[in-house]
This record gives sequence, C-alpha cells and structure tokens, in this order.
Amino acid sequence: MATIASLLASTRNPFPCFRQPLYPGSRSLVFRRYLEPCGRRTPTVPRFIRACQPSEKVGGDGGGVSASAKSYHFGNELLSFASDNFLPLALVTGVGMGFANPSLGCLADKYSLSKFSTCGIFIISGLTLRTEAIGAAVKGWPLGIFGLASILLLTPSFSRLVMLFQLQPQELVTGLGIFCCMPTTLSSGVALTHLAGGNSALALAVTVASNLLGILTIPFWVSRYIAGGVGVSFPTDQLFRSLIVTLLIPLIIGKVIRETFKGFANFVDNNRKLFSRMNAICLSLVPWVQVSRSRSLLLSVEPKVFLAAIGIGILLHLSLLAFNALSIRILSGLSGDYNSKNSKGNGTAVLLVASQKTLPVMVAVVEQLRGAFGEPGLLVLPCVAAHLNQIMIDSILVNVWLRKSNASSTDGGSDSEDESDIEEEIQEVQNNDINNRYLQDNSDDDDDIDTKRVIKPTKDKRFEEMTHTVEQMKNAMKINDWVSLQENFDKVNKQLEKVMRITEAVKPPTLYIKTLVMLEDFLNEALANKEAKKKMSPSNSKALNAMRQKLKKNNKLYEEDINKYREAPEVEEENEPEDEDDDDEEDEDEFEDDDSKEAVTDEEVDETTDTRWETMLNKKDKQMEKLLSKDPKEITWDWVNQKFKEIMAARGRKGTARFDLVDQLTHLTKIAKTPAQKLEILFSVISAQFDVNPGLSGHMPIKVWKKCVLNMLTILDILVKYTNIVVDDTIEPDENETSKPADYDGTIRVWGNLVAFIERIDTEFFKSLQSIDPHTREYVERLRDEPMFLALAQNIQDYFERMGDFKAAAKVALRRVESIYYKPQEVYEAMRKLAELVEEDEEAEDAEEESGPISSFIVVPEVVPRKPTFPESGRAMMDLLVSLIYRNGDERTKARAMLCDIYHHALMDNFGTARDLLLMSHLQDNIQHMVISTQILFNRTMAQLGLCAFRVGMITESHSCLSELYSGQRVRELLAQGVSQSRYHEKTPEQERMERRRQMPYHMHINLELLEAVHLIGAMLLEVPNMAANSLEARRRVISKNFRRLLEISERQAFNAPPENVRDHVMAATRALTKGDFQTAFEVLNSLEVWRMLKNRDSILEMVKARIKEEALRTYLFTYSSSYESLSLEQLAKMFDVTEAQVHSIVSKMMINEELHASWDQPTRCIVFHEVQHSRLQSLAFQLTEKLSVLAESNERAMEARTGGGGLDLSSRRRDNNQDYAGAASGGGRWQDNNMNSGYGGRQGNNRSGYGGRPGQPRDWSGQNRGGGYAARAGSGNRGGMQMDGSTRMVSLNRGVRA
Amino acid sequence: MEETKENYDLTPRVAPNLDRHLVFPILEFLQERQLYPDEQILKFKIELLNKTNMVDYAMDIHKSLYHTEDAPQDMVERRAEVVARLKSLEEAAAPLVTFLLNPNAVQELRADKQYNLQMLKERYQIGPDQIEALYQYAKFQFECGNYSGAADYLYQYRTLCSNLERSLSALWGKLASEILMQNWDIALEELNRVKEIIDSKSFASPLNQVQNRIWLMHWGLYIFFNHDNGRTQIIDLFIQDKYMNAIQTSAPHLLRYLATAVIVNKRRRPQLKEFIKVIQQEHYSYKDPIVEFLACVFVNYDFDGAQKKMKECEEVIVNDPFLGKRVDDGNFSTVPLKDEFLENARLFIFETYCRIHQRIDMGVLAEKLDLKYEEAERWIVNLIRTSKLDAKIDSESGTVIMEPTQPNVHEQLVNHTKALSGRTYKLVTQLLEHSQGQAAR
Repeated sequence: MATIASLLASTRNPFPCFRQPLYPGSRSLVFRRYLEPCGRRTPTVPRFIRACQPSEKVGGDGGGVSASAKSYHFGNELLSFASDNFLPLALVTGVGMGFANPSLGCLADKYSLSKFSTCGIFIISGLTLRTEAIGAAVKGWPLGIFGLASILLLTPSFSRLVMLFQLQPQELVTGLGIFCCMPTTLSSGVALTHLAGGNSALALAVTVASNLLGILTIPFWVSRYIAGGVGVSFPTDQLFRSLIVTLLIPLIIGKVIRETFKGFANFVDNNRKLFSRMNAICLSLVPWVQVSRSRSLLLSVEPKVFLAAIGIGILLHLSLLAFNALSIRILSGLSGDYNSKNSKGNGTAVLLVASQKTLPVMVAVVEQLRGAFGEPGLLVLPCVAAHLNQIMIDSILVNVWLRKSNASSTDGGSDSEDESDIEEEIQEVQNNDINNRYLQDNSDDDDDIDTKRVIKPTKDKRFEEMTHTVEQMKNAMKINDWVSLQENFDKVNKQLEKVMRITEAVKPPTLYIKTLVMLEDFLNEALANKEAKKKMSPSNSKALNAMRQKLKKNNKLYEEDINKYREAPEVEEENEPEDEDDDDEEDEDEFEDDDSKEAVTDEEVDETTDTRWETMLNKKDKQMEKLLSKDPKEITWDWVNQKFKEIMAARGRKGTARFDLVDQLTHLTKIAKTPAQKLEILFSVISAQFDVNPGLSGHMPIKVWKKCVLNMLTILDILVKYTNIVVDDTIEPDENETSKPADYDGTIRVWGNLVAFIERIDTEFFKSLQSIDPHTREYVERLRDEPMFLALAQNIQDYFERMGDFKAAAKVALRRVESIYYKPQEVYEAMRKLAELVEEDEEAEDAEEESGPISSFIVVPEVVPRKPTFPESGRAMMDLLVSLIYRNGDERTKARAMLCDIYHHALMDNFGTARDLLLMSHLQDNIQHMVISTQILFNRTMAQLGLCAFRVGMITESHSCLSELYSGQRVRELLAQGVSQSRYHEKTPEQERMERRRQMPYHMHINLELLEAVHLIGAMLLEVPNMAANSLEARRRVISKNFRRLLEISERQAFNAPPENVRDHVMAATRALTKGDFQTAFEVLNSLEVWRMLKNRDSILEMVKARIKEEALRTYLFTYSSSYESLSLEQLAKMFDVTEAQVHSIVSKMMINEELHASWDQPTRCIVFHEVQHSRLQSLAFQLTEKLSVLAESNERAMEARTGGGGLDLSSRRRDNNQDYAGAASGGGRWQDNNMNSGYGGRQGNNRSGYGGRPGQPRDWSGQNRGGGYAARAGSGNRGGMQMDGSTRMVSLNRGVRA
Repeated sequence: MEETKENYDLTPRVAPNLDRHLVFPILEFLQERQLYPDEQILKFKIELLNKTNMVDYAMDIHKSLYHTEDAPQDMVERRAEVVARLKSLEEAAAPLVTFLLNPNAVQELRADKQYNLQMLKERYQIGPDQIEALYQYAKFQFECGNYSGAADYLYQYRTLCSNLERSLSALWGKLASEILMQNWDIALEELNRVKEIIDSKSFASPLNQVQNRIWLMHWGLYIFFNHDNGRTQIIDLFIQDKYMNAIQTSAPHLLRYLATAVIVNKRRRPQLKEFIKVIQQEHYSYKDPIVEFLACVFVNYDFDGAQKKMKECEEVIVNDPFLGKRVDDGNFSTVPLKDEFLENARLFIFETYCRIHQRIDMGVLAEKLDLKYEEAERWIVNLIRTSKLDAKIDSESGTVIMEPTQPNVHEQLVNHTKALSGRTYKLVTQLLEHSQGQAAR
C-alpha cells in the first residue's frame, strides 16, 4: 500500500524537473534528486540548499545518492525508475534537449516531424483504446452528462479567467487558456478513477465521448475565448478541419485496426507498455521541437514568470476541481441520492475526469495554430507543466481519499488493466506492485513487506533515521571502518539539523550528544592505539584524520552538552523523546504546508528569507546570539576587531549565509569602539551587501540596496565629521590603525574605495530597472529611489572635491550626469519636486529604524544632507557637472560625459551646439574602439541628435544622423532597446545574455516609433523629389536605400490597405507626394499617433507641412515640367498654398542648381521652360554613351584585376570617378562627412564659453594626436573614403561577442 | 537706429583679441563716429592706459574727461615709477644698445646666430643677460608708446635671441609696433612671419595654437583693410581650413570681414561657394547684415531681402572701425570701401538675377539694384559692352533679354565620348605590354 509519505515525495520531486530548463547547469542535480529514494527525502532539503552555496548543494546531494546507492542497488533502481516514469522523463528530456541543442529540433521542425508525431499519438491512442466497458456507464448517466457538459461547455470558460492574468510573455497564459478548452485526459483520469474506487466505466465513457465531441467544440472555444483575448481573428472551420485530419482520423484508424484485427488488439494489450512508451516519445517530440524552435524566446522568459505560469496552472486545476466538486454535490443533492455508494463512485469518476485536461490534444491544436497566438514553444511549455501537475495533484487527492475512507485501494487492481496511457506512474499506483520501489516508502525499513504501513509522524521518522545512522556508525566502529564512519557522521549532522528544525529545540537531542561522546571516546582510543593506526589502509587513515578534525570542531559547539551528558548520561536520555511526542500532529501539518509553499516560491528567496532565517538555528545564529548577548561593558576595541576578523574570514566561504553576514556586521557597526573602526566595518557591511546577490544577471534586492545607500551616507557622515580619517585603497593600512580614537591627531587611514562603491550601487540600480517589468507599479516605485542615489552621489562628489581628489569626483560626477542626461526639463522638474517629497517620508522611516534595541556606541549625527539639491534647470546641472569632468576626468569618463552632454543639448533642441560638440570631440572617429556601453550611448546620442534636427526643421541633417541607424534593420539592438530577431543566424545564449545585460531601462528609451517616423519622413522629403528628378537617368542616385526598399515593397502590393503602422503612413504619404498632392500627404502624416510624444507638436507639424509643400512643389516641377511651356508664379503659389516669394525662392534655387531647365520671365511673372526634352534618338545616344563609359570602366577594372593593379593612372582615375559619384550622392546633405571634415575638422581645443571658457583649460583630449593634421581630410577628395567609412560608423554591438 | 548701430558694433568681441595698444585706434574711431557717449569712451581709454606706461597720455585724457588741471595722485606716482624703471632698463640694455647703434660693429654680425652670440660675448662682453635686457627694454618702450624704438630693438633682439618662445613674442611685438606705426608693407611681412611660425611650430596644445591663430586674424584686420593687396590676403588667410576652423569655433564675428572681402574682391569667386556653406553652418551662431546679404543672394534667392540687407550693410560698413576707413576727399570724406561694396553687391544680385531670368523689366531691375532707371540702363549697357553679360536691351518694352545658353546636344555627346577612345587605346597598349611581358618571361 502506498503511503502518503511516498506520494508526497513523488509529487514533490518533479518540481525541480520543471526548473530544469531554466537552469541547465543544475540538470544533473535534478535528475539525481529525482532518482533518490523518496521516503528518505525530506522537505527540508531545498531549504537547506538555499541556505548554503550552490556548489555545495550539488556535492551534498550527490553524496547522499552515492551513499544510498550502496545499499539499494542503484542500477536496478535507476532502470525501474526510468521505466516507471517514462512519460515525465521523456517530456523533460524533450524539453531539455530542446534547450541544450536547438539545431536538431529545428531540423526536425523543417521536416514537420511534430505533425507526424501528433498523428502517431492518436493512432497509438486509437490502438490502445478499449471501449468494451462503456456499457457499464449507463447507470450513472445524469452525472456522466454533467461531466460531459462540464468538460466541453463549462470548463472552457475558465480560459477567460486565465486570460485575465498578465504575464510577460503572454503566450504562457495563452497556452494555459488553450489548455482549458481541451477535453479530458485520455487515460489518466480513468486510471485514477479506478484507483479511487470510482465508476471507471463511467469515466471511460465520459473520456471517449468528450474526446470525440471535443473535436467539435475546441475550435469554437479557442476562437471565442482565446482568439478574442489575444485579439487575433481566427479561422474556426480551418482548425476544425485540421483537427479532424490530425486527431480524429488517426484515432479512428487506430480504433478500426484494433477492432478489425483481433490478434493485433491482443498484441497491443500484451505490449501495452511498449505502446505507451512510443506514445510518450511521440508526445515528448512535440515540446522538443517547439522548444528548440523558440528556444531563444524561452530563454528570455524570466524564471519567475515561468513559475508564475506554473502556479496559474496549478491554480487552474485546483479551481476546476473545486468547481466540479461543488457542481457534483449540488447535482447529487438535487437528485436526492447523496449518500448512496453508487452515486459517490460516479461522482468521483466525473470529478476526476472532468477536472483533467489533455496534453496530446492541446499539442495537436497548437500544432495546427501555426503560431497564430505566438510562439508554439511558449504555448506548450506551461501546459506540459500543468499536465504533470494535474496528474500529481489528482494522485494526491486520490490517496487522501483512500486514507480517509481507510479503504485499501489495492484490492481489485490486478485485472483492471484498462489504463493505456502515458501516465505510467498512475498505472503503477493502480497495480500496486510490491516490487515497485518508486512508489513505496523505501526508507530504511525496506524489508517490511506488509503494505499496510503505519504513517509515522515526520518527527519520529527523523529520529528513526538518525537512530539508524547511529546504528550504522556503531557497526562501522566495530569494524574500524573510518570511511563509512565519516560519511555517517556527516549524515548525522545533516539529520540533526532537520530534527532540530522540526522539534524547534534549542538543544540537540540526547541521541546526538550520546553519539558524539561515543565517537570521541572511540576516536581517542583509535589515536592511542598507534599500531593499529599504522596498519590502516591509506584511505582509512585519511578518513581518521579528517574525522579527528571534524569532531574537534564540532564538539566545541556542543561542549556544554557533552559535559553535562558525561555527568549524567541517563537522565537526559529519558526526558528527550517524550517531550517531542507531544506536538506530533502540528508538526506534520506544518511540515506539509511548508512543503507546498516551498515548491511554489522556490525562487523567491529574498522575500521569504526573513522567516526562514529565524527558523534556522545553526552555528551562525549562535554566533549572532553571542554577539547580541555580550555585555556592553565588556566590549573592547580588540574584541570587536577580533569578532570582525572572524566574520570576515567566513565571507565567501561555503555555507556562509550572506544575509547573516550582513546582520552580524551591521550589529558590529553598532558596537564599534572608534569611528575609524565603525567606518572599516561599514565598508565591509557594504561589500557584504553587494555579495548578497550572486551571479551577474540578477540584481540586488531593493531593500538591501536602500540599506546600502544609507550605509554609504553614514560613512560619509563619519568622514565629514572626522576629517582626519582618510579612505584609501592603495595602501594596506596598519593593523591597529582603526584603534586610534576619535580625537587622534594624525590621519587615520582606512581601506576602502568610495568610487567603486557608488559605481556599484549605480550599476545595481540600473540592473534592477532593467529587470523590473516597466509597466508595473514596482518600476515606478523603483524610479522614485533615484533622488536617493543622486543625493548620495552628490555628497560623495562634494566630499571628494573637498579632499581635492578631483579625479574621483569626476567619476562620481559622471554617474550623476548619466542619470540626468536623458531627462527633458519637465522630467527634471518632476524629479526635483519628488526629491523634496520623498525625503520627508524617508526621514520618518529612518527614525523608526534607528530606534532599534541597541544604540550604537559611536553615534554619528547626520552631517551630510540627505536631500539632493538641484539647480533650476537640467542644463545648468549638466554644465556644472560636465565642466568638472572635462577638467579632471580620464579619457573614458570624458568621452561618456561628452556624449551625455551632446545628448542633453539635443534634447533641449540646441542642435547647433550639440552638433558642434560632437564634431569637436571627434568621437565618431574613435568610437569603434570604445566599450560597447559607450558605443550604445553614442548611438543613442546620434538618434537623439537626429530627432533634435528634425524638431528644429533640419531635415537633411536629421536624415544623415538617422540613416545609418536604420541601414541594418537592427535599431533595437543598436539602441539597446530590445533584442532584434535575426532570421538568418541564431545567436548563442552567451550573446543573448550579453545583449540582455546591455538593455536600457524602459524610462530611458527613445521612442522607436517616433524615431522611425522621423527617419522615414526625412527620407521621404529627400528622396521623393530626388526620384522625380532622376527618373530618367540610368545611373540613379539613391539617398536612402532603406526608404527605397520599403517603397518598392509597398509598390509591389496589389492593394493598399489603409495605413496601420508608421511605415504604412509614410508610404501612403509618399504615394501622395509623388503626385504632388501635398494635402493628402500631410493629412496622412498628421494622423500618426507618435506626434503626441512631441513637446511643441503644432509648430513641428507646421514645419513638416511647410516642408511637404516645398517638396511637393519641387516634385511637381520635376515630374511635370516637360508638359509645360510656361507656368505662372501665381498659379504655382495657389496650387501649393505657398507664398509667391517662397515659390520664387524655391524655383530660383532649382534653376541655379540646374535641376530645372527653365528661367523666369520677369515681366509676366512666369517660369519659362526651356526645351530640355531630348528627342528619342538623343536620349538613346546619351544612354549609349553612358553605357559605353561603364563598359570601358569595367574593362579597365578587369584589366587591373588581371595585371594586378598595373596602370596607376587607371586606378586613380577610377577612384576619382567613384569619388565624384559618392560626392554627388552625398549631395551636400551629409554633414557628417562633408562638413565634418571640411568645415569643422579642427574644432578641437576651442574654448567656447560655457564649456570651459577658462583659458588654458585643455579641451583637446579628443584630438591631441591629430595635431594639425586634420586639415588633410578636407575637400571633396576625401569624400569617397569617408562615404565608405560611414557605413561602419554606426557601431555594431556584436563585435565584442564574436571576437 | 542708434540701437542697431551699437548692435552691429563688434568692438566688444574684437577687443579681447587685441593688444591694448591696438584698441586705441578703434576707440578713436568710435569716438569720431560718436556711437557711444564721449565720456564712456574716455573712461574706457583711461582704464586701458592704466596698465600701460603711457601715463602722460592718460593724464591728458583724465584732464579732458573731468575738465580739471591736476592729475590724480596715483597717476603722478605711477609716472615717477615708470620713469625710474625706464632708466634702469636703459642702463641694463645700454651695452647692447650702444653696440647696435654702432654701424661698424653691426656689420660684424653674420647670419649665423651661434657665431654672433659667441662674438658678442668675446669682444663686447655682451651675454644673455644683456640680450634679455634688450627685450625688456623694447617691451617697455612699446608700453610707453614709443613704437618705432620698440620695433627696432625687437628686430635686433630677434637676430640674437635663442629662445623660440621669446622670439615669437618679440615677433608679435614687432607686428604690433608696425601696425601702430601704420607701416602696412612691413606689417604684412611680419604677419606672414608670425603665421609661418604658428603653422609650423608644434604648439604645446592645439588650444594654444587656435588662440594664436585668432589673435593673428584679428591683428591682421588692421593690415588687410589698409594694405592695397589686403583684401586678397584676407581671403587667402581666412579661407584656409585651419583658420576657418578657428573662426567657426571661437570668433564667428570675423565672418563679417571675410564676407566683405569676398564681396569686394572679384577675383576670389571660386572660394565663394565654400564660404557660403560656412555661412549656412554658422547661421545659428552669428548674424550680420553682410553675411545675411550673402545668404539672401546665394542661399535663399531672396532678392528683395538682399536689397534690404544691402542698405543695412552700408550702415555697418560706415560704423566699422576696420571697414569704415575714411578718405578725405576735399571737403567731404568718403568711405571708399562702402562704394566698392555696394557696387559689387549690386553686381552679385544682378548676376544671380540674370542667371535665372529670361526677361527682366528694367524698372524692376533698377529698383532691385537701388539705382535710377537711367543709371541702371547705363550700368547694364556697360556690362553688355564689356561682354560681362550676354544680353540685349529691348528698350521698346523696357526689358533686358538674356541670351539663352543652352548646351548643344551634339557637343555634350562628343564630350561624353571623347575620353573613351583614349582610354580604350591605353587599355589595349597596356594589355599588349602585359602579354609581351608575360611572353618574355
């Protein structure tokens, strides 16, 4: 008979399996844990694991397995286990394989393997489907009908509830929603029903019926609930048809085969296990394929989110259960035969069957959806989890029932072989095979054949385990086997922890003490006996030595107890067990509660830590206790120092709880004797706080972060108050440096690095913003912490400036700059106001915290202001900080500050200043060699500059700023505002992780839609007249390749739908503009939503309108000039709603530039077009000459290639040609190239007022090595080269990773 | 009107880049033009003089400013101090000065600096100390307003000086002296010398170099607008990239002078296009009627605007200390540059106007050019006669008709294909050479 304990264990274990895909590194661990004999598994394990370091967890568990392997024939067990749990294993392996190596899965996907596998599933299902017993179901038809209704009609509506959850990515929820619409499981429901003693015939009938009818209902529900929720229109009948093809037809085929060939049916029944395995493999293929296909997406899903999805799955199932239970009760109540045994059986059957949902059908449906609702992998994964969950939950339920009714569920198990399913473990429950180790409580009493086992309270079991281990130790002592003795000793220690946790005892149980005493005696004996020692095998003697040391250390802790025991061994022994028996029941309950909670909140270490640490009474706490209980009078500097060293030594060691460390150190700061010492310890506190979060990807808990900032402020208080204390990280200070009292005369050096700390704090802040979902309240809350950081940074900077360390001050200033530069004035104002508000709350909080139990010895008044001060405008602040950095910063700091400065200028619409700064800095030349984060900043700056140019109406400049950004389709990546998916090459996980780490927090984003709109409009305004002008020329000049490409795509479309996104709008506008229809063009653009992001939107729209008119006029002239002999000024002005002066100016410009072959006839105010139209022959002749020269050129090129660049003159001429071309293409528009080199090349070392007007201040950092050489780059001669450079200027971010 | 005049006055922007002494001519000019109240200028002058040694002059101004006869005490004291210092410096530099005054002795000097130093030391016991004293003495002389003396001494000093920095400093001193003495030819030479040093010398920092360039350009303004050939020179200097960069970064107001020079100077048309580009770039940082005039004509083709600007330009030129130099011609004084400017500006407008017009009404043209009808006609006839303009006047309708300048299609075709045969021929010979070379191998 299966015990609750075993089931509990078996249900618990799979959880780590779900975590597995998220933590590929811990896979082995998970498997091993899964394999471990379950009875002994204790719920404390995860807790224990979390308390120590990850490495130990693997080692510790591995040890446990190897130990058990010795006694339990590991190999056999493994095999039987694998076969018993084939389905979960297969599913998990499939998912795991998908994660580990997606390429194979993708290949499989190519051959649409999953389609075949779904067919396979149902053929096999059909083959194994028995319908013989269905007739027995007639008795319970009312409930059966209800079951059907519930499955097909009622429960799908739960999907609407599920869809209410908001998770990122939404596919997880959508998947569960689809899952809701599914019919019941094919077999596990029947199997469980049978196990629970329900009417399995009824269950079978409901199952078969619902699965058949489900095919009819699913498409309907899916389109109604899910598609409606996601907002996708969805062809219901198509799904229905494909479901019939992939689902019903194979099922029927299978069934028909089964019915027609009796022999085959027998064969199938005899090899049921084989078939169910095939089924499992087929089923697991689908998640494998899906996962591999959308692996990159899955990896981007946070574990937390995924856990939440699993949680929703569990919740869903529980609510289904509850719903069905309630309905059944009501139904039974109505029909009046509530208590009859029969109806109870029916109820059980319906309840179980109606609450379950089937995975294979779900998989088939997802397969048919073809990604309509998002990534199939994301859809399937939560359902896999939910499927496993529901089986586990139901099996628990069934066992609970069994236990309640005290009925053995095993009596009729043998003949009811009608489970045919994937759910092997259920089958085994049903079979109740004694030899099945997995489901048995295979703890120490393995030889206990009696299946009716008394369920022992957990505590007793723990004690038993311990006793058992002690017994083993005794045995080991007898044969002098130190190796096993050592192993057992470790085990006993572990068990001790568990026991103590459960009993909540402060003292270890007597049994343990007794063992210790015994061990000690034995050890002494062994050591005394030197001859025996010599005889020992090397491994044995090694173990002996290790044991000696361990015991010594261990016994120290329990010295008191041991001594007591030695005095009065008997008394204690008797007392102990009785004490503990009293609260058995409670303990157990608590343990169960704990357990489930544990599983769900597995990852959220941070939040539950507080309670956890309380319950864990181990060595550390004792130490803490000691610290706390120490009489204040006894505390001396030496004592504190010694304690401090002790604690610090524990840092980074295995098994040191990081939170404890922080707590202990914080306490130490309170009892520190001198300010210097307090400072020293505070530094360690902060380092320890940084340590709290291991790993690179996660961020520091926000609470800790805040505390950290407060600690930093306290440090500053001390430093400001005691000016003789100097913080330094270069010199190793004297041992007793910190013992010097506050009134010590000389300087006291304390080791520490404030800059590193503040940078780390900033980085953590940044990281936390990166990982928090920007659409939540949490994000906003987090943003409110920024003033806190700014205050700290300001104080530190002030301190450094006072101390004369300007270099450090510049670094800190940069951090401040970086948190301000992207804020427009309004946001800045808001922050200023917030800073004042926030501070008041903070103070209140502080006061509460300060009133702790122990007041510190060194009370530091709050010298440093806790409030950041802000100048009136963001610009003023930037100027202040930036000039400090330019004066004192190092190369990198300056470069970043410069970029921020430019960005901010651009934000303030000072395009001229921003452009000059950029050009003077020469950053664009060497940005390639900087770190990626700086390159991102550069890209952001360029984007902002482009926006700024647009806002001030400089379209050409704007376009040249942005065109590179858009040339590669990787805007998101370049701006670090999201990951761009590339169709062509898969990114390695490493790359992706790097990329994710670089992402900008949401509030710093540059709106991509706006950016795209600006870029495309700019391109349109430039390109449309350009295209009109050069429509006849063979060699086309292209200003914006990207725009041309988009235009081609849109022209290729047969029908133009009304514009939806930015691109559509611009394309629609382009179409209008090409015809010279400025009104429509503007209206289309005006309807864009992105304009509301702009501050002075009306004036900008006015500008856009004016530009559109102008370009429309130009386009019109280009296009239709050939149709006119003359055109009056007045008419043109009227046509395009422009003033005559403007028309005159525009047309004159075109004439001068020889774009338009015409001239004014002044007296009549007309444009007279000259006969420019060549005759057909002439234009053909021109084309011919054009082609001839191209031919000649290619000949030359070929010649050069053959002769190896023989003719110098040729190649040089060719280059000239290219240059002319390139120069012409740049058309005076690319100020980056032309003006930058010809005009601004040498703008270094200036002294503009405001950027260091002080003469002698070196502003030459960017151009030092360029001396006077920049002039060489001037002129058109270099344009060609620069043009080519241009393509590489926008920084590629992947360089670092690939290299 | 007064307001705008002051607005266009660049003195506050120019002055910081000039030597104290060089500011005087500007102040004199301003005083003459009466742009500012006399008192203000006089006060400014005294302030200026306080740091120099021209105490007597300062006293005079003080007297005229406050209409008193006695000078303030500190000035008297300062005068005594200056005289004493002059004495001591004179003594220190005496040996060298006497040597230099002796023409025979001077002839002994050779081109070799090293030799000279050696020689002086051996035969006249003149060491570095004395040479240093000479510099100080010259400087003092300059401060006192004795520019010719200073120029002489500095010239001598340079032949003997071994310190590069000092040498440059002496050169600046010499340049200033020559400018103040209005020896424009020599000044121009000195200017070029300074320029060479600035361009060649690797300065400690580019910042320094830029600053030197800016000084040079400012100082040069005196020379350029007074020397006969100055207007060409100024374009040559300013349009150089290095100098243009300096202008753009630190002294955009210099664009006014460059613009004027470009307009006035007919021979420097090729540079015009480049300059227009610069003007467009600097549009946001500096505005000036003269610059705007160019923008009107060449960027916006706004001829009415250009017309207006032209009038403003007149005002600006007259009130600019560099541009508004007066030549007294009998009873009334004229500003030659102004006339020249207007003439050329008119030409600019007209040229551009003609380029885009087929037929122009003479009346409108006359208005645009700010001329009377007859004047305009005469002007145009002149242009046509000197074959600067390919047009005819239709006096019946009162219009100017431009001759169409259409490129011949055949010519274009020929031009396109002309090079091809040559290129092909070359290719073939090359190919042959190559194959022969291979065969030989």
